Amino acid sequence: MPLAPVNDAVTITQLIDNPYPFYRQMRASSPVVSVSAVNRVMLTKAADTRAVKDDPETWSSDDPDTPMKRAFHAHTLMRKDGEEHLRERNAMMPTFSPRNLKTLWGPAYEKLAGEYLDRLPKGEVVDLFPTLAGPLAARILADILGLSEASDDDMQFWSQALIDGAGNFGWFDEPFERVDRAHLAMDALMERKAEYYRANPDQTALSVMVNADDPIAWSQIVANIKIAIGGGINEPRDALLTVLYGLLTNPDQLDEIRSTGQWGSAFEEAIRWVAPIQVSSRRATRDTQIRGIDIPKGTVVMTCQASSNHDEDLFEDGHLFNAFRARNPHQSFGSGPHHCMGTHLARMMLGKIMLPMIFDRFPNMELVRPETVIWKGFGFRGPLNLPVRLN
Amino acid sequence: MPRLTFIASQGTSRTVDARSGDSAMQTALAHGIDGITAECGGAMACATCHVHVADEWADRVGPAEDTEADMLEFAASTVTAASRLSCQITMTEELDGLVLHLPDTQI
Ligand code: HEM
Ligand code: HEM
Ligand code: FES
Repeated sequence: MPLAPVNDAVTITQLIDNPYPFYRQMRASSPVVSVSAVNRVMLTKAADTRAVKDDPETWSSDDPDTPMKRAFHAHTLMRKDGEEHLRERNAMMPTFSPRNLKTLWGPAYEKLAGEYLDRLPKGEVVDLFPTLAGPLAARILADILGLSEASDDDMQFWSQALIDGAGNFGWFDEPFERVDRAHLAMDALMERKAEYYRANPDQTALSVMVNADDPIAWSQIVANIKIAIGGGINEPRDALLTVLYGLLTNPDQLDEIRSTGQWGSAFEEAIRWVAPIQVSSRRATRDTQIRGIDIPKGTVVMTCQASSNHDEDLFEDGHLFNAFRARNPHQSFGSGPHHCMGTHLARMMLGKIMLPMIFDRFPNMELVRPETVIWKGFGFRGPLNLPVRLN
Repeated sequence: MPRLTFIASQGTSRTVDARSGDSAMQTALAHGIDGITAECGGAMACATCHVHVADEWADRVGPAEDTEADMLEFAASTVTAASRLSCQITMTEELDGLVLHLPDTQI
């Protein structure tokens, strides 16, 4: 059978600016396609991306050639398989237990959200990216992980450094140097806090991992926390900005949700519409096929959940924000053994707490000049700004 | 092949053949049953494969074990004593004829 057809027309700049037109074209003409600009075989259909992620034996998360290992100074759980992956994942799981979400992190987020909303200036134009979405996502994560001494700025700087390092496919020096600096600061704080938690255990992720009966290695504890820093700020931040944009540009939907209270559906639709993490990679552990196309062992495929979320087989008018879809089987939290560990936390923070709260506080919030909102990103995607007037 | 019936919240029902050894969740996905989302693909990490076991089957299927019960707290629809995660119900000949009620929403 044939190998995947090659597309060398699309550029990385086009993909970063707006990958959706390209994905639509590929779904229609060549849904399994080798894209020169990213040097990967892209999967663009929902059935294929899901099947790959649900079959970790054929599709390993362990891709030896990404800059991730260099950027994280470790091989992290995100890139491990099987028992080894589960052991590390389970070490952190207790922190995210339903009981903790309900009794600790929910109330903590609610209090913080209220404080950050109180600080926003009224009557003037304010950009919610730097004033609310970014810092609040950073703050709650620092508290949950057990790094409450880290400032909002520290957390955001570390997170961005890790992401830029992990996405540094050009293998440039600057992103690695910046992430090295971030590691020094993160490591110092974690060592200090680990000491403290040995004497004062609580339910934070660092404490839970340090005080476990059969703890994982210190190097892996540190790596896990860093994955959460790299993966726990941008997505909730971008998801919040995306859902606010979706609701403010669709006032009829917003009105209806105010009366029905379906804030959770609005959140799910936002992350379907623009998935905060757009692609995930997997490596073939044996020769295999997808849609009649040969995938030789060792091939790294990029499962494009951003594309799957707009797949015509599952969604009508997928390019439109519609919080009232009867079914919404999006893949924005991934699936299979690497299914996002923060799913329930994100749903609770944004769908249950933030959305009703912000529209209750600022019932007349308006988006100022929506055409000035800039969307960007290929690996991660969201608005870079959200200018609103609060009343 | 054990037979398995899903009854949607609106009352419509569908009966399908399950492969012994598959979970009820896998059986639902294999037959395109709406109402089972199963985001995590059976890793017991999502609670979007929630079902209510029909009363007459409760004893044979048994209750959720501890971690499953914890995860069930995340289910989007009302959780009752009959609630299970369908990825944790393994189909066997003893469960031939099993009836599962689907909740109104999984997310
Ligand atoms: C709207 C918000 C979020 C979205 C859309 C999202 C999305 C994702 C996706 C797609 C993956 C899977 C990556 C893959 O398959 O390779 C993932 C993994 C992960 N996420 Fe999230 N995430 C969100 C929030 C969070 C938060 C708040 C945390 C906080 C701790 C978090 C922690 C993690 C971790 C630790 C993993 C790795 C799990 C593993 O490999 O076993 N995420 N996330
Ligand atoms: C020249 C520019 C870029 C190229 C060619 C590129 C290429 C790629 C490729 C091939 C992957 C998948 C490989 C893998 O994960 O194994 C990837 C993943 C990723 N990229 Fe980029 N990228 C670029 C820029 C960026 C930028 C600017 C960011 C972030 C700000 C970024 C963030 C990511 C992230 C977070 C992933 C991980 C997704 C995952 O594997 O689960 N990339 N990129
Ligand atoms: S499929 Fe996720 S818990 Fe059952």
